[in-house]
Amino acid sequence: MVKTMNKPNVIIVRTAGTNCDYELQTAFEICGANVDRIHINELIENKDKILSYDILAIPGGFSYGDDIASGKILANELKNKLGENIKKFALSKKPIIGICNGFQVLVKMGLLPEPNKFEQTATLSYNDSNKFECRWVYLKTEKTDGNTKCIWAKNLPDIIPLPVAHGEGKFVADDTVLKNIEENNQVVFRYTAYDGRYPKYPLAPNGSFNQIAGICNKDGNIFGLMPHPERYIYKLQHPARQGCDDKYGWGKKIFQNAIDFLK
Amino acid sequence: MIYEIAIRTKKGFSNSHNVSLLNDIKIMGIDGVENVEYFPVYRIISDIDDKKVSVIANELLTDRITEEFSISKYKTSEEKETEKNSIEVWLKHGVTDTVSESVVKAIKDLGITDNVIVKTGHKYCFNGSGITVEKLNKIAKGFLANTLIQEYKIR
Amino acid sequence: MTQNVKIIEIINLDDKQLVELSKTNVLSLSLVEMKEVQKYFKNLKRNPTDVELETVAQTWSEHCKHKTLTGNIEYTEIKQGKKNITKYSNLLKETIFKATKELDKPWCISVFKDNAGVIDFDDKNGVAFKVETHNHPSALEPYGGSATGIGGVIRDILGVGLGAKPLANTDVFCFGLPDTKYSDVPEGMHHPKRIAKGVVSGVRDYGNRMGIPTVNGAVFFDEGYMANPLVYCGTMGIIPKDKCFKKVNSGDLVLVVGGRTGRDGIHGATFSSVELDKESDVSAVQIGNPIVEKKVLDTMLKARDLNLYRAVTDCGAGGLSSAVGELGEKTGVVVELEKVPLKYEGLKPWEIWISEAQERMVFAVPPEHKNEILKLFEKENVEATFIGQFTDDKKLVLKYNNEIVADMDMEFLHDGVPKPTRTAVWEEKKSVRQKKIDVDSGVLTQDIKNVLADINVCSRDWIIRQYDHEVQGQTVIKPLQGNSIVNSGPSDASVIWPCAVVKNTDKAIVLSNGINPEYGKTDTYKMTASVIEEAMRNAVCVGADPEKLSLLDNFCWGNPNKPEILGSLVRATQACYDMSKEYSIPFISGKDSLYNEYSIGGKTFSIPPALLVSAMGVIEDVNKTVTMNLKKEGSFIYLVGVTNNELAGSVYAKIKNFAEGFVPDLNKKESKKIMKQIHKAILDNLVLACHDCSEGGFITAVSEMAFAGELGVDIDADLIKISDDTMSLPEILFSESNSRFIVEVSRENSNKFEDLLKDCCYSKIGKVISEPYVLLSSSKSKIKIKENIKNLQEAWQKTLQW
Repeated sequence: MVKTMNKPNVIIVRTAGTNCDYELQTAFEICGANVDRIHINELIENKDKILSYDILAIPGGFSYGDDIASGKILANELKNKLGENIKKFALSKKPIIGICNGFQVLVKMGLLPEPNKFEQTATLSYNDSNKFECRWVYLKTEKTDGNTKCIWAKNLPDIIPLPVAHGEGKFVADDTVLKNIEENNQVVFRYTAYDGRYPKYPLAPNGSFNQIAGICNKDGNIFGLMPHPERYIYKLQHPARQGCDDKYGWGKKIFQNAIDFLK
Repeated sequence: MIYEIAIRTKKGFSNSHNVSLLNDIKIMGIDGVENVEYFPVYRIISDIDDKKVSVIANELLTDRITEEFSISKYKTSEEKETEKNSIEVWLKHGVTDTVSESVVKAIKDLGITDNVIVKTGHKYCFNGSGITVEKLNKIAKGFLANTLIQEYKIR
Repeated sequence: MTQNVKIIEIINLDDKQLVELSKTNVLSLSLVEMKEVQKYFKNLKRNPTDVELETVAQTWSEHCKHKTLTGNIEYTEIKQGKKNITKYSNLLKETIFKATKELDKPWCISVFKDNAGVIDFDDKNGVAFKVETHNHPSALEPYGGSATGIGGVIRDILGVGLGAKPLANTDVFCFGLPDTKYSDVPEGMHHPKRIAKGVVSGVRDYGNRMGIPTVNGAVFFDEGYMANPLVYCGTMGIIPKDKCFKKVNSGDLVLVVGGRTGRDGIHGATFSSVELDKESDVSAVQIGNPIVEKKVLDTMLKARDLNLYRAVTDCGAGGLSSAVGELGEKTGVVVELEKVPLKYEGLKPWEIWISEAQERMVFAVPPEHKNEILKLFEKENVEATFIGQFTDDKKLVLKYNNEIVADMDMEFLHDGVPKPTRTAVWEEKKSVRQKKIDVDSGVLTQDIKNVLADINVCSRDWIIRQYDHEVQGQTVIKPLQGNSIVNSGPSDASVIWPCAVVKNTDKAIVLSNGINPEYGKTDTYKMTASVIEEAMRNAVCVGADPEKLSLLDNFCWGNPNKPEILGSLVRATQACYDMSKEYSIPFISGKDSLYNEYSIGGKTFSIPPALLVSAMGVIEDVNKTVTMNLKKEGSFIYLVGVTNNELAGSVYAKIKNFAEGFVPDLNKKESKKIMKQIHKAILDNLVLACHDCSEGGFITAVSEMAFAGELGVDIDADLIKISDDTMSLPEILFSESNSRFIVEVSRENSNKFEDLLKDCCYSKIGKVISEPYVLLSSSKSKIKIKENIKNLQEAWQKTLQW
């Protein structure tokens, strides 16, 4: 693939059951990046290949059919076969994003909330409603001193809409871990009612502890979220055709932030 | 050797699946059941050693945050112990088990190279004052097992 | 006889023995067909092998050959005592297919030929659409049957031309009543609610795992479907124009890719030719694995774009026998059955050949690409195995470990099936007006809520939200619509804007459907006309051009050996021809599922005939699409079209329990005019919201627009244009007349809108208000209704919350 110089290079990891990779690629490309969608077999064959990229993205889908539990088998495979280099990538402060199934993988692999530990300390469990939920929700962007520490979510409005589509999106962790996440300002998005108040089902679609929809690590470069920003790149994708400007949706800003961070 | 790993939700964590199962039982008009607990069960048939089975259970099959596992071991199905007031559902011989293929691959990814055969099943344990074999049969046939492709055992 | 094959004695059998043989071996071949087979082998001076007999049975099956729709039918129509006889020698060719041929639309790329119908999208691409049914398996195993139903239709799209990329799924279900008493469910059958839940889950899990959004559908509940649920699954995909056609050359290799082969689906649920014991395999129902199919999808599109194969088709009904048989029809083929990868040991050659194991595709690969294509599949853990070669002797030759187990002429196999001759009869039934219904405001308000809560009108969001309808990020008109994210109303159609697949395009694809078995209980001609228009209306509501739509027909009917049942089928196909010609829109694909009946206590019950019409169209500018939720306080509400006294088959008739009345008719000329002008209005940006009237009538549709938009309406019902002065207010509000649209237009645009509609029947009947109420008054009937939209929404949402 001919790579244009000065454009950041994104790798989207895919495997059996990965689904949202095409639209994720479109999202990054519109924001000005080169994108490769690469099968995990290729990455395992050539273990250092992953390090040559600037941004690592794990997309949504049903990797390995969600067998055993969502994201478990892919997390297991990535950790055992590519763990060393993935940890290197994470600690080098390069941007990493895990969306939906990708978030499940990051958490079950132990890359979030504490990549240093690289041990699973939280999980995404079955929705309280016991069913798959496909709907739009409102997200509150958590800010400290006017902004979030997460590079992906910088300069977003206090509340943005995004679509979710998952059966296992309930963020669960014990009290100690939760306390740490909150105190270190690692919560990026929380489910909310449209006016910022406490959300009831279905605006709280899964029963996540502390209504957590997305978190980052302490350094703010690794971001995992259940909602799908790649499905809100254009205004047209919003149910009422609302966007951040004439053409685009708020999801685009999230990817733009990571690209701009590298420039 | 046959190992059976049953996964249960830890106390203190809700399991929405159990709630909706109880609801389905009530809708069928069956009384006397106060609660029901669901366990995914994995059967590993192999000459593998016990320690490795623990690793598989701990690292792969269980979510360490919300779940815990128990392992039972036996040579033939006659030796197997079944819990009281329980229904076990397994696929009939010859029916494709899609999850088992994924588990076999994941075991390899763990670095365990022993030959394994994996089968996946479901266990339901019932609690209540009015549980009878007749009621359990009704529940099993009513919505837990499709006898065309699954078989169930009641105790 | 060897260990691999059995020779089946046929050439010396008498008629009775031939029938017995067909029964014992579950061949489902008629005496006429068996005699044809006997003749063929008598000529060859030998008896057939079991493989050969099974191959003929599969290839000649109703499912594969559509014998009824393409056979001889003598149809007698009885109207006002007069008999009119029409002789059809191929019903499909002389009705549905004839219309398409006569219309000869230049934008049709491939119709009724391949695995799906394909039309133009833009200069470089076409779009393909196919709808299939999977009824019987879903009755036996709801989850597995429906999952493999959607898996199968997705493979149809993978197998059209050289392979299309699936963009969207549709699903339409007919189930028995969910509140049926358990004691009323016949022994051995699943409860309708269990079937419904199983089917919803099956289609959900397969579609979600494939990463294809399920965007359009319908569910119809009726006790007639208790034992025979109907499961229609559809898939739409996009395909480069230069990849729309297949070609098989002699010398090409036969490649089977994807899942392994087992005993899945052989002979359906009965398995009479093998002894069953504890050890033997019993899988007679297909079990699907969507991840395998997704892997095949990912890799084969890569192979397609590298031009590594010349033809592809899917393994569906009949398994390899159909797939390889079809591809090799013009050339001939030799297959080495021992090379087919198996799930487990012990399959006999005939089992390997006709197994319906899932997730398998068959390719014709030029020998020079042999290694490259294998490598491509292997890289992503997809099994691919060469099993044979296309020849030039026009024969089907099957081998097993070098022994020939089948050797037949392709011509006999594909063209040798004798055409059945059947009789069909239809007698016109006279309808009478229902007793006039007069109720007061209180009862009427409750009736409105009851209709909204009716099982065939109420919200399907419990189902819809379990399906990922946003994956791929291209669903711009979604199945549920509304202003704020919590409130929603039912969408008429969905629009897919393929922005991730076709860069920089403004074009989009609309999908809609129409189904209403209730009307068919009176007259299937009128039912067909209504559902065709319903599918079109739904598409027009979101912005489609009514002159650029294409249609699919899917018939689910009872036993065609019964003349009345076949007669109702003929009526329906006649209506298809008439409508297609009148609207000038072609049918591009279709399927039929017959013999949907069950026997109990010595009696046989056939299902209410169900025709699903699906529509697909290309929208030129995705920005010119419209949703149904009300948008602006102060804007006007128009009801375009005339309301007739047509309550037979309506939801209201069911609730009020009356059987008389007139089934909705169709004024085709008016309908065409209205749809054309509504489309113009949308193109001119004059339309804020648009919703058509169907089940539940006008009042249901306008209520849906209100609570979806979180706005109220103030309506003067006396302004509604009606054709029958004797109609009472409830009859007007709940009539299900065709060709009616509710349109919201801003004050500033109202003159322009009225100008566009000047040759149509319409009326400005009210306005949008900010107070959250549906206000409806009629001074003629002395009725005043004021109902909070929250209450209406609650009634609509409560019913289907399982």
